[in-house]
Amino acid sequence: MQITATITQKPETGQTPSTHGIKEMGAQNMEARELAGSHILCEALVREGVELLYGYPGGAIMPFYDALTSYPTLHHVLVRHEQAAAHAADGYARATGKVGVCVATSGPGATNLVTGLTTAYMDSTPILAITGQVGRPFIGRDAFQETDVIGVTQPITKHSFLVQNVEDLAEIVHEAFRLALSGRPGPVLIDIPKDVQISKTLYRPSASISSSEYLRAARVPEPSAAALTQAAKLIREAQRPLIMAGHGVILSNAYQELFVFAEKTNIPVITTLLGLSSFPETHPLAIGMPGMHGPAYVNHAISAADLIIGVGLRFDDRVSGKVSEFAPHARLIHIDIDPSEMHKVKVAAVPIVADAKAALAALIEAVEPGDHSSWINEVRSWEAQDIERGSGIKRDQEYPDPTSILDAIHAETNGEAVIVTDVGQNQMWTARHYTWTRPNSHITSGGLGTMGFALPAAMGVKMGMPDAPVWVVAGDGGIQMNIQELATLHQEGIAVKVAIMNNGYLGMVRQWQQFFHAGNYSETPITGPDYVQLASAYGLTGICVTRREDVAAAVHQAMEKEGTVIIDFVIESQSNVYPMVIPGTAITNMIEETVEENAGDD
Amino acid sequence: MTDTERAGQSNAPEGSGRLHTLVVLVNDRHGALDRIINVLRRRRAKMQTFTIGRSELPDIMRLTVVINDSEVGVEHLVEQLRKVFDVRHIVNLLSEQTISRELALIKVNSNEAHRGEVIELSHLFGAHVVDVTSETVTLEVTGNEEKVEKLVSQLQSYGIREVARTGFVAMTRGTGNM
Repeated sequence: MQITATITQKPETGQTPSTHGIKEMGAQNMEARELAGSHILCEALVREGVELLYGYPGGAIMPFYDALTSYPTLHHVLVRHEQAAAHAADGYARATGKVGVCVATSGPGATNLVTGLTTAYMDSTPILAITGQVGRPFIGRDAFQETDVIGVTQPITKHSFLVQNVEDLAEIVHEAFRLALSGRPGPVLIDIPKDVQISKTLYRPSASISSSEYLRAARVPEPSAAALTQAAKLIREAQRPLIMAGHGVILSNAYQELFVFAEKTNIPVITTLLGLSSFPETHPLAIGMPGMHGPAYVNHAISAADLIIGVGLRFDDRVSGKVSEFAPHARLIHIDIDPSEMHKVKVAAVPIVADAKAALAALIEAVEPGDHSSWINEVRSWEAQDIERGSGIKRDQEYPDPTSILDAIHAETNGEAVIVTDVGQNQMWTARHYTWTRPNSHITSGGLGTMGFALPAAMGVKMGMPDAPVWVVAGDGGIQMNIQELATLHQEGIAVKVAIMNNGYLGMVRQWQQFFHAGNYSETPITGPDYVQLASAYGLTGICVTRREDVAAAVHQAMEKEGTVIIDFVIESQSNVYPMVIPGTAITNMIEETVEENAGDD
Repeated sequence: MTDTERAGQSNAPEGSGRLHTLVVLVNDRHGALDRIINVLRRRRAKMQTFTIGRSELPDIMRLTVVINDSEVGVEHLVEQLRKVFDVRHIVNLLSEQTISRELALIKVNSNEAHRGEVIELSHLFGAHVVDVTSETVTLEVTGNEEKVEKLVSQLQSYGIREVARTGFVAMTRGTGNM
């Protein structure tokens, strides 16, 4: 009996897709040459359009570093710790939409990448990690600096490849790029044994499809006509609709589509943490960030909504709070490119597995113009109540406070700055109080919440967007986690401006201790270096600001000064991020700032 | 079922699980199997059986995984497994259309007095005798879960020394393939 089975091809992976036409293209003018694996790797990187790599050499990756000097278009940035290489590649990817590349040696080099890979994995950013591996005869024998990096990284990458033969190397590199960029983006790792880097084989560029050739030919997942009709019906019938825009809007470059869709339907827009800067916050339809540290009125709007149009978001627990009480009256139109996100947290009445840009473009055509002014007014009235409640609180005027710092940065840069935040209070204050007007100007580790992310990520952001002013906003805890990268910034002459919100505490943990652990400040008070002297020791400029009135001048000075500048803003030691949803409860169950608490602070 | 009646994956009611048979075609490549196992582990899937073998296609392995999970839970699991790079195809087989078989080797105590009984009993189940010693009989039986379970329980009274089961392989009835 003849068995004829067909394998369904997955659109996003690029395993032998129907792009044979492309394979033939240009085959004539690219002749085959015999090259070592290390050179093939460089050739393939150049062919993928790579210009920047962040990395650190070591024994098992030395053949690659030897080849690197023959490829002057590949600019390698020597970081001071491999974790920073992964974060920098991540920052570069978030800033440019291109694949960020990081390189490390085997063993400790590779394991140091782990936090950075996980950060990229959780936030769906396309990075490629290249790791050296001990020679094939030594694998599995506990050789010096041997780690099973494939085993270690399997749960935190989209895919990881061990290159077992030099003949496979070029195709694996291109496959890795195709995979990192297609569908829901994510990190990919290639582990290359040292002897594979040295082995020679015939290299013919045209034998593999590059990621740009593949993506040009690949079909972008689009919504079905039935789904569009159903979605348009729900949108037409809704009285209290909301758009929730997530990272997918930014990843698919759907700013314009989101803008037009919101305006045509007249539906207010909520932006999640990673969706911040996907929609201009000064727009009348922009209502802010939801969830744990979102303003109360945004969470109330979610609870009152009868329809949520979720675009490229995954309803993380920091957004949803207690799932069973999340948006109890709302039906959901869920647009996401990853089918496994459908119904994961909230059941979608209309699941649309598609690229956000394509789905929004199609929805714009499918919907009728709407008017939700009474609903918008209702939400705005809740906002006014929030502001009214807060107005009675007497605040300290002496110290620099987060809002004054953020306002100064926005004013000094005319809103053109790209802000890279760390994790904790600094991150939430910035998310809440900065005015996001420039598309893709907010970069942070959302899913993993990686302290130490901001400084190295900002290197990649700045190198990806050299014309944009790039500001790091970090706490005094997180900044010390990758502070060594000041040396890299200096060596490369990268101009990143660093605002440290220094309160002498691991502030977010201290805040939780205050609320939920009876004020038992276990291991949260933290000291740091004299940042002015530290900056100077690294050959950079440092400024210390202890008074509110000096904030704007310091920010101005930092912008005037060439190169990286660090400003140590000494803020109030026990400020909290308000409001705050009590973890594990409904998002309307919020702790708000009170007049009493603040009065007793001094 | 409407969306308001149906639970999302994260709030599927406790104890709403039942057995599902997943068939996965996967590239026979380094690390492919680990990735699948990783997803199952991370999802805390309650695996009942897991089998792997060659398929009709070159370089493609066929996995059959029987798990106990809720309807929404298994849908999510399927989508997550589909994302594994080397997974080429995955199907959640519906029980009414599924042929499902496993093979079991059962080593039973059996002296002179009982040997005939044991062998006779095994014939009722279509089992074969594959080994005989003065103290034991080893049987080979193939069938669906019910049949294998039943034979094992029938043999309990003689004293079972060892049972080795392959876990299930499955395919759909009729002319269609997955």
